[in-house]
Amino acid sequence: MDLIHNLKEVFEIDAKIKNDFQIEVEAKKELVSSILLYLKNQHGFIHLDHMSCVDWIEDEVFELVYIVWNPNTKKTVLLHTKIDRNKPEMENIDTIWDQANTYEREFREMYGIEFPGLVAEREFILEGWTEMPPMRRDFDTKKYAEETYATRPGRENAEDVREKIIKRTGEEIPDFAKKYSRD
Amino acid sequence: MSNKINTIGIPSEEEIKKAQIDFSPRCTAAGRVNDKETQKMVEYILNFARKHSLFVLAYGTGCGAIEIPATMTSRYDAERFGIRGAATPRQADVLLITGYLSTKTLKRVIRVYEQMQDPKYVIAFGSCTINGGMYFDSYNTIKALDRYLPVDVYIAGCMPRPESVIKGFIKLQELIQNGNAGNGECYRDNLDWYRTNQQKIIKNWDFPDEYNW
Repeated sequence: MDLIHNLKEVFEIDAKIKNDFQIEVEAKKELVSSILLYLKNQHGFIHLDHMSCVDWIEDEVFELVYIVWNPNTKKTVLLHTKIDRNKPEMENIDTIWDQANTYEREFREMYGIEFPGLVAEREFILEGWTEMPPMRRDFDTKKYAEETYATRPGRENAEDVREKIIKRTGEEIPDFAKKYSRD
Repeated sequence: MSNKINTIGIPSEEEIKKAQIDFSPRCTAAGRVNDKETQKMVEYILNFARKHSLFVLAYGTGCGAIEIPATMTSRYDAERFGIRGAATPRQADVLLITGYLSTKTLKRVIRVYEQMQDPKYVIAFGSCTINGGMYFDSYNTIKALDRYLPVDVYIAGCMPRPESVIKGFIKLQELIQNGNAGNGECYRDNLDWYRTNQQKIIKNWDFPDEYNW
């Protein structure tokens, strides 16, 4: 294909065909903005579908995925890049697509990835958040929830309380529900 | 932040501990004795009128709000019980908490509840408001609503069907007729306890110092 050949020639990266509609590309983080600009201007991938972030805590990297779409050929390019997890920093691409600004704000808040030159309020979805960015995998969300929020103590045993409820209210268990009884 | 904002103050550790130990919700409908025999005649008639005209604030949080259109429209037709929508908090009697409540929304809900006129009732929807439901380990949703707002009726289910919703409303009507519903006064009396709980999870506290209710 033209696109794969061109990417090999211009950027020296290997793109592979995932299926009829998707082409997968992996690149270094320095090349990402140039590749996206190239795809947009030369190959008609004018639409930024999605940006997402994956936390690979074992490899100490964040993987960012940029998904761009060409409305004429109906093809999608998935551009993967990996950045250091200990000092997460990525190039700002909201000069190429305005909507990237919103995604980058979310990454900054939920993963703590810095985008130098990003002009936006620091507070996005969370209000007054002082802890570690909550979408990182080393953030213990259950522990945080137990410490922060009052919880209602649960029942001590797992008995079927429907008998009690029936006695109290005088209702009857319908036939279709009887087969789910624990007894 | 200026000092003016926190007149009630960010709770000290002792206060937080006290709030944790003293676990039971302050305002529950079942706790009051005010049945037909002890009610005054005027109160009895007022309650009868109130129970047949419940104006529900058109506001929904979480996923449960999707059951409200079904409850209100022709199939289940909640208006035959006198339940209908109200546009603003000051015109409404009932506040529905429909499903999970994030801390960010809780702040707005408290503001809405405090603006409502007495008598005011709260109905909490779904298991999320009871014990967190499927969000039991979420960093951003509350687990037990009655720590932060007085609740009259809980409707269990995930989500409750319109039949259960209507049953919850009928239960509320019973409570109103018996004079057991409406916790606005109790909320004001126990404001410190509720404020302590609320300020514990709402970090950027910027409520007005005082309400003239």
